[in-house]
Amino acid sequence: MTAPMINLRQVSKSYDRGGETLKVLQALDFEVASGSFEALMGPSGSGKSTLLNLIAGLDRPTAGTIEVAGTRIDTLGEGALAKWRANTLGFIFQAYNLIPVLTAVENVELPLLLAPVASRERRRRAETALRVVGLEDRSLHYPRQLSGGQEQRVAIARAIVNDPTLLVADEPTGDLDRASADDVLRLLETLNKELKKTIIMVTHDPVAAERATVVRRLDKGSLA
Amino acid sequence: MIPVRYNVRSLAVRKTTTIATAAGIGLVVFVLASSLMLAAGVRKTLGLSGRRDVALVMRKGSDAELGSSIEDPQVGLLGSLSGVRRGPRGALVSGEVIVVAAMEKLGASGVSNVQLRGMTEQSHELRPQFKLVSGRLPRAGADEVLVGQRLRGRFRGLDLDGSFDLRKNRPVKVVGFFSDGGSSYESEVWVDLDVLRTSYRREGFVSSVRVQLESEGKFDGFQALVERDKRLGLQAMREATYFEKQSEGTSLFITVMGSVVSVFFALGAMIGAMITMYAAVASRQREIGTLRALGFSRSAVLGSFLLESVLLATAGGVMGAAASVAMGTVHFSMINYASWSEVVFRFEPTAAILGQSVGFAAVMGLVGGLLPAVRAARIAPAVAMRG
Ligand SMILES: Nc1ncnc2c1ncn2[C@@H]1O[C@H](COP(=O)(O)OP(=O)(O)O)[C@@H](O)[C@H]1O
Ligand SMILES: [Mg+2]
Repeated sequence: MTAPMINLRQVSKSYDRGGETLKVLQALDFEVASGSFEALMGPSGSGKSTLLNLIAGLDRPTAGTIEVAGTRIDTLGEGALAKWRANTLGFIFQAYNLIPVLTAVENVELPLLLAPVASRERRRRAETALRVVGLEDRSLHYPRQLSGGQEQRVAIARAIVNDPTLLVADEPTGDLDRASADDVLRLLETLNKELKKTIIMVTHDPVAAERATVVRRLDKGSLA
Repeated sequence: MIPVRYNVRSLAVRKTTTIATAAGIGLVVFVLASSLMLAAGVRKTLGLSGRRDVALVMRKGSDAELGSSIEDPQVGLLGSLSGVRRGPRGALVSGEVIVVAAMEKLGASGVSNVQLRGMTEQSHELRPQFKLVSGRLPRAGADEVLVGQRLRGRFRGLDLDGSFDLRKNRPVKVVGFFSDGGSSYESEVWVDLDVLRTSYRREGFVSSVRVQLESEGKFDGFQALVERDKRLGLQAMREATYFEKQSEGTSLFITVMGSVVSVFFALGAMIGAMITMYAAVASRQREIGTLRALGFSRSAVLGSFLLESVLLATAGGVMGAAASVAMGTVHFSMINYASWSEVVFRFEPTAAILGQSVGFAAVMGLVGGLLPAVRAARIAPAVAMRG
């Protein structure tokens, strides 16, 4: 048995809201095996995004330990955590989050600016990533010149360009029509099967969940 | 590092705000550069007026030629001292009278003082840069004047063949214009010494005496001779020193005024830059969160927003500096407080002044952008996840 890609032990997360403490996650144990494609479902406000943020090192737990891709991230300093994200993770956001003033290929290049890669090589790798998502002919387009589905595929290219082991997606098809959503899901499936990326994806869409190898439900801060 | 084109294009997208903010900074730089250029122009104009091998003799205690008075016989005495150069017509010594006349300005209402200088035959020899640019030299003893070219067209009557009243009912005719290598003499009207003295009832006196020395090195000896005789009650200084002192006061005044005004404007423009950058940070929170989520560090975000602010300010600075260069073609007349008369100066653009001014803009951008950049750096990466 190989070590799990994601391993949360007794993780709690609460937020301070005007003096009141909002307990979102309580003593959660959570494991994701390497190479799996997991969907996380559950009602709004159940803590899915919170859990994803913790796994991705965007936020810190109130208690508990988090190990991702072999690194204890809950104890990492701010700078080390940023570096770890750059090397280990690819993000896919519901709202795509492309930088509007940068072209598709420039957006895809962004993560490579954090690694010692020469500019010519950066461009080459970014174009390769765009080819993987089928948008090589859109590399010089700005986000506003693309459809929602195309924007999300550019975002996926950006997420995979530095060859991370783990992809984290928060409702990646939430803003898309059925056909575009299917394109994106097919793409994620390919990345999982052929490029062996571990994927954890939050979704409300049962069709999306069907693509995943494992489906989990989060309700009121605990896994069902 | 976050690429610079991210900042450049973000500035370009917010066109109106960017231009307005940059223009504010440009205005400050324009004011600063212009006043530094004017101060440089004053130093240059007055610096060109004085020679090191000419001694200027005035009544002891006088700060300026205007307030000095020397009796005629003393002029001859000064010419007999050792160290004075002699020409075909004897010692190169020129006792000149300075008066100030209120003249009607053209193109602006009101009057302003113009310096009139009563000249001798030797006067031109003491000013080797002198050149007649149009018309002719006045005839000795005639009611004719020669006008410095910077005054041309600035006052009523100061045109070729024009005339003005030297004193009430004492008209004189302009017969020529002269240049003097850009010196402050170009802002004077030159009149025959005796014509000026009779119309101002100053017979028997001159204001100052210029003495051409055999060489620069003869000055100290000459000065000692003049000042040793207490009965004379005279003082001597190098002509160059005299004008340097005048320019120091005036250029310092302009520099200080310009700097004070610029600093106040700069505070305003810096607050403008700060507000603009705060607004930029607020509207780009999700972008910043995304950059952080992708792995860019806090300091990368800080640097990026500082850079954006500096770029914005520098663009404004370059605009302001370019506008100030256009001032180089403008002639500016102002009172020289040492002579209480108008001297026409030029704005003197130098690479150093332009560099300093654009540098000042960059510093404004840095200071104004600091707090917004710190706020940007504090944006949590989790902000990227919020819808
Ligand atoms: N930064 C935060 N500060 C305070 N409360 C938060 C914050 N982030 C999330 N919450 C709250 O935590 C709960 C879970 O949020 P979230 O994880 O976004 O749920 P989901 O993604 O499942 O809809 C919600 O009640 C939400 O309002
Ligand atoms: Mg959510």
